[in-house]
Parts: sequence; structure tokens; C-alpha cells
Amino acid sequence: MPSLTVDHATKRYGALTAVDHVSFSAQPGRILGLLGPNGAGKTSTIRMITYITVPDEGRILFGEKPVGPWSQERMGYLPEERGLYKKLRVGKQLVYLGALKGLPPSEAGRRARYWLDRFDARDYAGKKTEELSKGMQQKIQFIATILHQPELLILDEPFSGLDPINTGLLKEIIVEMKNEGRTILFASHQMEQVEQICDDICLISRGQILLQGPLRDIKSRFGKNTIVLEFEGDSGFLTEMEREGLLRVVSRTNNRAQLQLVQNTSAVRKRVLQTAIERTTEVFRYDLVEPPLSEIFIDVVTRKQHTNGTPEPAERPVVR
Amino acid sequence: MDKIWIVLQSEFLRRVQSRFFVLTTLLAPILLIGIAVVPGIMAAVALEGNERTVAVIDETGALFDRLQSATDEQFVFMQTSAPAESLRAAVQAGRYDAYLRLPAGLEEGAGEAVYYSSEGGGLSARSRIEEAVDQAVRQHRLDIRQAPPEVLEVLRSRVPVRMVKLTDEGEAADSSVTYSVIGYILGFILYMTMFIYGSFVMQGVIEEKSTRVVEVMISSVRPFQLLMGKVLGIGAMGLLQMAIWSVLILAGITFAGQIMALFIDPSAFDLPVDASRQEVLRAADLSIPDISPMVFVWFILFFLGGYLLYSSLFAAIGSAVEQPQDAQGLMLPVSMLIIIPILFMAFIIESPNSTLSIVLSIIPFFSPILMVVRYTVTEVPFWEMALSFFLLVGAFIGAVWISSRIYRVGILMYGKKPALKDLIRWFRYA
Repeated sequence: MPSLTVDHATKRYGALTAVDHVSFSAQPGRILGLLGPNGAGKTSTIRMITYITVPDEGRILFGEKPVGPWSQERMGYLPEERGLYKKLRVGKQLVYLGALKGLPPSEAGRRARYWLDRFDARDYAGKKTEELSKGMQQKIQFIATILHQPELLILDEPFSGLDPINTGLLKEIIVEMKNEGRTILFASHQMEQVEQICDDICLISRGQILLQGPLRDIKSRFGKNTIVLEFEGDSGFLTEMEREGLLRVVSRTNNRAQLQLVQNTSAVRKRVLQTAIERTTEVFRYDLVEPPLSEIFIDVVTRKQHTNGTPEPAERPVVR
Repeated sequence: MDKIWIVLQSEFLRRVQSRFFVLTTLLAPILLIGIAVVPGIMAAVALEGNERTVAVIDETGALFDRLQSATDEQFVFMQTSAPAESLRAAVQAGRYDAYLRLPAGLEEGAGEAVYYSSEGGGLSARSRIEEAVDQAVRQHRLDIRQAPPEVLEVLRSRVPVRMVKLTDEGEAADSSVTYSVIGYILGFILYMTMFIYGSFVMQGVIEEKSTRVVEVMISSVRPFQLLMGKVLGIGAMGLLQMAIWSVLILAGITFAGQIMALFIDPSAFDLPVDASRQEVLRAADLSIPDISPMVFVWFILFFLGGYLLYSSLFAAIGSAVEQPQDAQGLMLPVSMLIIIPILFMAFIIESPNSTLSIVLSIIPFFSPILMVVRYTVTEVPFWEMALSFFLLVGAFIGAVWISSRIYRVGILMYGKKPALKDLIRWFRYA
């Protein structure tokens, strides 16, 4: 199946350059995470890929050819802002959206039934879409996105509003599609999910790429500089060590703390463990790991903004 | 399958199956027939058996007999010499419908007759009484002056005027009044349908935008295809609705005629009691006029042209806003263009061949309504029809081109409520 190539794509809206010479590619059988703070240019980039808008400069290729109406039929797009025809019944809705992707109505109907079964939503086929719960509408829209078996799948926050069971089901299907060799673009602010399912990432801020490559490589590039500590008792010692400038407390809950080492030496690491044992009732876990993606995200985005002389903080990504 | 066709089908079927469509399709003709038939029945009922008993104080002593013979069966005159006070009371009590005072000297043209009634007479009663008194006085004065019978004969004779319309095919009976009424009705139907179906298009666009389904749609079809599919789908719905209306109204008129005939007493028109309903209707001037099928052909053509012109403009407006309320300001200029022809309709019907009428009926934004009205009431040269329609098609293509440029930017714009100048800016974007 073809790969997607974004080649120096630029999109301007009046004085604002929403996307500024962005280049990346997404490979079949892999999931590319498209990350970035709000207003970074993700949606503008996706709209050019889906041929909703056209780039002012650069080009976007699907396989060898520039995207166009022909490629729209081979793409499935789940926008962040969901929307379906409210009054249309679920079954007809799916057949209509499928037909617009080139599916004959009978085939669209057959596939709609298969997917409704799989999402345990068979009984909803005859209902008006507006009568459905939000989560159910979400599932219907996901079905509409994949009904025509697109070679390129673009999912913008696909899990928002779904319960853990449906999130699991959706993940399973996304991985299934990846294994079938489809190219998947996954835009999200939920870094844990990105870490779980993405093979590659591409981090955009202010219309420019800050970081891209295979997720594994990027994480190892940042090294094992993070300690995960689980314990019972008083956590006051962490504040003291932070004040000394040895580490930074990334997150702290009742009995769990995530620490980024400012001085990543064996002496410091040893001291953290020793102090923890001395000062708390009991230590359950001490783990030296690579930084979570959310930390890399904050680190890269804020550092970039500081070098640009704009101290305005980046929006913190949602960490769940 | 072309994508415009897929969108068209979906839009058409979705709307035709809606409760709104079924209700308006069935109720509108009932309403229209009601408006047409009820006054007819009322008039027919009023025509018979509604005699008025009128007491007459004849102070001239000479007019009562003549009045008696001058009137039709509408009035029963009773001579009386009771004082005005008691007559007043009698009218109030309903023993008389009215009383008529003919003061002395009236027979020689001095003073005025006064008609007192509790209900104020009404238009037809007034003219009938006037005519009866007038005739009685004239008759009296002719008799006094011993006018020869020949003169009386001359005065009594009435010259009928038959209206004949000259057409290319020769002479035809003129039914100006009927054609004017049909012109008005067709004009208003065009006005209503262009407005209502146009706002359907606008609401459809707004709904797609506010529910955000539009982003999914335009990742599958080009904005132009979506726009045209919607406009044509709703237009097809409109044609179907009007086709059903035509059938229902034609059936209704035929049926209504039969009903009205039941209420009319054939003897009122000097027809035998067993006269057929057709004869009765013709005598009562209620027959259905012949309308040239070309009127319908042009009606459909101009409806399509006007609908496509206006609905594409409405679509552009809809693409700019997120809620129907926000569209009011932007709609004003377009609404004005539809309303202006309504203001000129009476003028066109009155003088369909004046220069102003000809010009107005050729201007694209006005021609859908005004040319159809004009064509209904008069003969319009073919070249004028063709020119008018050609310009309308040109305007429609231009409007679609402009609208689709605004539309494809507008549907992705959220946030601030746009003004007309924003639409112009969007038009320049692409």
C-alpha cells in the first residue's frame, strides 16, 4: 500500500502561516503520531492531506501522485470535531457516507452491519443519530471512517469520550488495520495513548516540526533520566531534594512520584533511593526509566519557545 | 455514480420522507381551495332566499308603485305611514330589515332618499336600492312629461359590451379578470416557493456546518459537488411537491365546481331546473378558464432558473453562519430582490406591455416572478421570453460560481459572526 509524503507543505491564512514548510512521511503498516500544542497547525496539515484545502507551497503525495479527489476515496478521516446528520437513521447514514467513498449501497450496507455487530450496536441501525449517546455516535462515526477500508486512516483524538471498554476495542481495531498494512495518522494530546500505539511521532509547534522519528529512538535519545517511586508515608524529602537542585518532581500523588534527575549520576540516584528508604514507611518500587512522552513534549515545546524569545508556556498535554 | 447525484438522491429522499413534506404537500392545496371555494359558496348562498323587507315612507305619494316594479326579488317593499319613531323601533326589533324615507320633492330631484337599517346596508344592497329609487324617479318624471313610448324604450335598452382579446391565433374570449387572478396566484406561488425552498437550502448548509458533519463530507466530495447536490436535491423535492399540488388542485377545482353548483339555483339564471352543472357554472361565470399549457412550461422553467439563482445565494449565506438567526442581516439584500417583483406585480398585470413592464420582466432577479405573471396576462413575443430566460440562466451560473467560492471557505470558518465584507474577502481567497 502507498505511503504518505508531506513535502515542504506550507499553508497561510492571511498574515498567519499555519503550516511552515513541513515535511514528513507516514509508512504503510505503521502508526504515525501527530503531536503538538493547540493551534500548532495539526488540523491545517490534516486538511491538506485530506484535500479539503490545498497547500500554498510544497506538495502532498499519496504513493507517487499528489492527493486529490482520487485519494479522498482511499482515505478515511475522523475529525476531532465530530459530526453526523442528526435526523438520519444510523444505517442510512453509514450507507450514504460509504457511497460517497465509492461503495455500492448494498456493499456499504453489508459492511455497516458487520461493524455494527462488532461494536455491539446492531440494534441502533434503525435509530435516528440524535437519539444516540455521545459515545455511541462516536462509534458510528468511526465505523463511517473505516467502512470503505481506506489505505490511509487519519484519526484525530479517536478515543475522546469513550469508556475504557470501547477504548480497548477501538485500539484493537486500529492495531488490526495497521497489521493489514494500512497507513495510520494518529493525532492526539493523550500522550499515554500515543506511547501505547504509535510507531513514529512527529511533533509540530507553530507550524514547524520540532521533533520526528521512530518513538523508540526518540525516547532513548533522551536517556534513562527519570525515576518512578512508589512508597507509603511522608513525601517531604522530595521537596528538600528538589530545593537542593538534584531533581525535579514531575508528578506526585499520595504514594507515587515521578522524578526527573537534574544531575543524572549514580551518586544522586543512590541518594534518592537511600533517602526514600529512610524517610518513608515502606518503598514498593524504584525504577529508572526513559522520560514519558509527555515530558519530552513539554521539554521540547517550551525549550523551543524560549529560544524564540517567547516565554509564553505551552499548554500542558493531558496525561491520563 | 457521480457524487452530485449521490448527494442529490440523499437530500431528496431525506426531505420527501419528512413529516413536514407530507403535511405541506397535503395541506397547502386544501387551504388554497378553501380560500377559492368558500367565498364562492358564500356568494351562492347569499344569492338566494335572502329577501329584505323594507318599510317605505313615501312622502311624495307617487313613487311607491314605481319602486315596487323597479326592484328585483331582493327587496319586499311595504308602504307605511307609521311615524319614524315606531319604524325605528320596528327595525331595531327586527320586524323590518330596514325602512326607506322618500321625502316630498324627491320626485322632482330635490332632497335625498334615506335608507335606515340596523346592519348598515352593505355594498350590494346600497347599489340595488340606489338603482331602484333612481329608476322610480326617472320613470315618474318621464311619465309626468308624457314622454313617448319610443323614448322610454330607448332609455330602457341596455347595450351589452363583449370583451374580445386579439391573439395571433385570431380572436379569443377575453377573461382578463380570470387571467389576472391566475397571474397573481402563479406570481405568489413562485415567490413563496423560491423563498421557502431557498431557505431549506440555507438551513441545510447551516445544519451541516453547525453539526460539523461538513468536514467529513468535504473529505469525500468537493464542496461544489456537495453544494450542487443539495441545491438540486431540494429543487427536485420542490418540483415533486408542485406536481402533486397541481394534480390535487386540478382535481379540487373540478370537485369544487360540482359542490358550488349544488348551491346555485338554476332559476336564478333563467335556466331550466334540470340544467346540467356545467351549464349552471357557465351561467354563473364560474367556469374554469382554459390556460395554455405553455404557461406551465414557462412557469416550470422560470421556477427552476429563479430557484437555482436564489438558493445558491442562500447557500453562500448559510455557509457563513453557524445559526439561522445570524443569517438575518446577510439575507436582507437577497430577500429584497425577491420582494421587489411582488411590488410590481399589480403594475405588470395592469399594463403588461408598457416599457417598464418589459424591462422588469427581463431583469434576471425579477424575471422568474414577473415574466410568468406577464406571460399569463398578455401575449409576450418569443424573443422576449428567450432573452429573459437566457439572462436568468446566465445570472444563475454566475451566482453558483460566486456562491461556491464563498461556500468552500465559509463552511470551514467558525467563531466570529461574519459581515458582507468577509464574504467578499472569502470570494477573493480562492
